[in-house]
Amino acid sequence: MKRSLLTLMLWAWSLCAAADSTLWVENAWVREAPPKAHMMAAYMTLKNTGSGDAVLTQVESPAFGHVMLHKSQVVDGVARMIHQDEIVIPAQGAVELKPGSFHLMMPAPEKRLVEGDRVDFVLTFANGGTIRIQADVRKKP
Amino acid sequence: MPSAKPVTDFQLTDHRGQPFTLENLKDNWTFAFFGYTHCPDVCPTSMAMLAQVQGKLEQRDGLDQLPQVVFVSVDPERDTAALLSQFVPYFHPAFIGASGDEQNTLNLTRQLGILYGKAEGSTADNYLVDHSAAIILLDPDGAFRAVFGVPHTPDLIANDFLAIKNYYEATQ
Repeated sequence: MKRSLLTLMLWAWSLCAAADSTLWVENAWVREAPPKAHMMAAYMTLKNTGSGDAVLTQVESPAFGHVMLHKSQVVDGVARMIHQDEIVIPAQGAVELKPGSFHLMMPAPEKRLVEGDRVDFVLTFANGGTIRIQADVRKKP
Repeated sequence: MPSAKPVTDFQLTDHRGQPFTLENLKDNWTFAFFGYTHCPDVCPTSMAMLAQVQGKLEQRDGLDQLPQVVFVSVDPERDTAALLSQFVPYFHPAFIGASGDEQNTLNLTRQLGILYGKAEGSTADNYLVDHSAAIILLDPDGAFRAVFGVPHTPDLIANDFLAIKNYYEATQ
C-alpha cells in the first residue's frame, strides 16, 4: 500500500509539476544511449490548456551541462537537425517531442545514464513560468 | 521489381579493425544505414528499428540466415573503430560498424545514392552531419537491390525484404 501510494505520488509528480496550471508535460523520457555515446536525446508531450500560446525557450537539467532544443527533419530524403530558438505550444493544443521530430539534445554526461535512471529537467517559458519534470531513462526505438 | 545495380569494390574498415569491402557483402543480404555516432535522434531510432526488423525475421520460418546490418559512418573524422565498436553492437550484437576515409566513403555512398555533409553553422570540433535517412538493401551478389525511405516500420521492411528475397531466389 505504501509502495503504491509512493508510486502514485511519483507518477503524479512526473506528470506535471507546473507553476502554471495550464501547461502539462506527459510521458517525458530520455533515450538510453550506447556506451561512450557523445549525445543523447529526450522526448515528452507538452500540453497547453490555456487560451494563449505557450513558448518554450529554455531547458536546463542538473544531469547535463547543456540542453538544446532541436528538430529532426527529413527533406528530400536527407535527415537534418535544426536548432530551435523556441518551441511554440499553441493555445488549447499540444506539441509532441518524439523521435524524428522535435527533441531535446544533450551532451552525454560522464557517468552513463541507463534504463531506470530518472533525470530532472526545468522548462522555462517566454512568460517566465517554469515547469519542473522528471524523465525516465528508457531503452526503446 | 526493379533490376539490381552492381556495386564496385570499396575499402572500409569495420568496428573490429578488419577490412570491410565488397567481399563482405557477398553470400548474404545486407541492410546498410548511413549515419554518425554523435547523432542522438535519427540514427539511434533507425538502428533500434533495424534491431526490431531482425527480431521480426528471427520469428519467420524458412529463413536460414538473418541479413547483416551495416552502419556506415558519414563522420569518419570522429567515428573511430573504438567508438563504432561501442555504438553499433549496442543495438544488436551482430550489427557491423564501418568507416573509411572521405574518398572511400564517397565511393560507396555515391554508388548507393546516399548524400551527406556537415550542417551549416558547423565548427571544426562541434558539428552536425546531414545525411540520407534511407536504408539500402543489397543482395548476396553485393548489388543494390532496394531503398527504404522514411518513415521506417519494422513490419513493412521485414515483409518487403522477404518478398524481394523470394523474387531473387526464384529468378536465379
